Amino acid sequence: MNLMRVWAIIVKFWFDTKRDMFRLFDVFWWPAFNLFVWGLLSTYLTQLSNGSVNFVLLFLAGTIFWSFFDRASRDISRSMVEELWNRNLPNIFSTPLTLTEYVAGVLIVAFIKLVIGSIFLFVLSRIFYGFEVSALGWPVIYLMAGLMMFGWSVSFLIQAFVLRYGHTVEVFIWAVTVLLQPFSCVFYPLSALPVWAQWVARAFPSMYLFEAMRAIIAGNSLPVGDIAWSFILNIVYLTGSIVFFYRTFRYAKINGLLTKTF
Amino acid sequence: MDTIVLSARGLTKTFGGFTAVDHISFSLKEGEVLGILGPNGAGKTTTLFMLLDLITPTSGDLTMFGMRYAQDREKILQRVNFASAYMDMVPRMTIMENLLIMAMLYQVKNPRQVIIVWAQSMGIESILGQEYQKLSAGQKTRAQMCKAFLSSPEILLLDEPTASLDPDISVTVREQIVAAKNRGVSVIITSHNMAEVEEICDRVLFINHGKIIAEDTPEGLAQKVRKARVQLMMTDGQKRTIAYAKRAGFPVTASGRFVTIDVDEDDIAYLLAGLADKGVQYGQITIDKPTLEDYFIAESRRNL
Repeated sequence: MNLMRVWAIIVKFWFDTKRDMFRLFDVFWWPAFNLFVWGLLSTYLTQLSNGSVNFVLLFLAGTIFWSFFDRASRDISRSMVEELWNRNLPNIFSTPLTLTEYVAGVLIVAFIKLVIGSIFLFVLSRIFYGFEVSALGWPVIYLMAGLMMFGWSVSFLIQAFVLRYGHTVEVFIWAVTVLLQPFSCVFYPLSALPVWAQWVARAFPSMYLFEAMRAIIAGNSLPVGDIAWSFILNIVYLTGSIVFFYRTFRYAKINGLLTKTF
Repeated sequence: MDTIVLSARGLTKTFGGFTAVDHISFSLKEGEVLGILGPNGAGKTTTLFMLLDLITPTSGDLTMFGMRYAQDREKILQRVNFASAYMDMVPRMTIMENLLIMAMLYQVKNPRQVIIVWAQSMGIESILGQEYQKLSAGQKTRAQMCKAFLSSPEILLLDEPTASLDPDISVTVREQIVAAKNRGVSVIITSHNMAEVEEICDRVLFINHGKIIAEDTPEGLAQKVRKARVQLMMTDGQKRTIAYAKRAGFPVTASGRFVTIDVDEDDIAYLLAGLADKGVQYGQITIDKPTLEDYFIAESRRNL
């Protein structure tokens, strides 16, 4: 792997971002907007329950961690879609850049954006709602790492579908989190789902991670089994989606899909 | 001895049941400019994309600098560059930013200086700070040409590089291509501008329906069209001239005092001797010899 070429992809993102205010909206505005809506609702619900249930902690933690997954699931696939929109894929892949170098650059950028976006939300939630992420302790690292892995799995999968089927499936970049949210049990326990949906939810690492989050908030010990199972699923999904993505890229070259816009 | 830098043998590309490129074989020598001509959909661009590893050939063997993409993709592409009038860069980024990224991908040393030098030669130095999306089609093409040159490639692949350029800028681009050739750069160029191909190409492949129909120098291809066009400005005997040409089986048209007769090059002497026998008089005669464009039109129509 050539680090200079990986760096080129990172710099390219910086050049592109600094000229596009809407990207900043994506990192800061929408997550903050979401945080305020849920923050206000949870404050109201906490007042209704006379403080017997801390909805603020429950909902804000859910909102912040879900934003984290939401970003992770979009960033990688969006990068390649933008190359397609810009008709720039033939330009960059007719250079010595390898697919692995491109993916490495995109992952580094995605990670930086995730960190910046998360710190921003943690700071906001602390200022406005007194929510301390440190109250959740070190398991936060497991939660975030697990959600990032699952988000990237989804992102690689969608990126592969976009390469294969083109612009018609782009909508899934934004829609997938909406489709997955009910089964991820972000704001309610698994038991709140219908039985059939519980079986579906068990296939998603996010469900185990949000169950673990609620357990920690409730003051229970970390459900190590759930965390471990979510990581096993994550490793399987991430490996599978990366393999699928690489195979699809090869398929795209065989079928002329990289140059299809010509 | 001429060094072969690119060799394609039996290169074929099928998409489902459609054969875009059909067992084409050709080679490219160091410092040679090879033109690929053919009507739209002939397979020219697909061929270029296979040479860039953007499309994987269905079958055939391709070597560049004696290497194959399966083993040495990065080494090959480090020595190759590409420009197309139909390709874009990142629209929100400036030309300088776009070119800097490309320079980094090719690991160009002193990229800013190199970019400025090429921008000067293409006449876009003053707009390096402009966003790509705000450029005219011609400026975009020139930015693409800067991109193609900035890595000092040994093989340059150009897909219609002068499409949408003003004539004076086209001249600049052609001069740069010829200068590259003189530095030993091998060039493959597709173009619909036949005069340009005649001017800069050492050799031409004519492709249609994915197959190489002909391979020769531009002059050699033009000579395959035997028809010449004889135009006479008549002073006496216009009707006799038309009648004679028709009897002899030569296509003839008349406009005002001018009579135009299409005739095989070998029959020009016969035609003029016959007209002299008829006692016709003309004040001016023009004989247009066949060009590459005539060949292009003839072959394209024949293979419709």
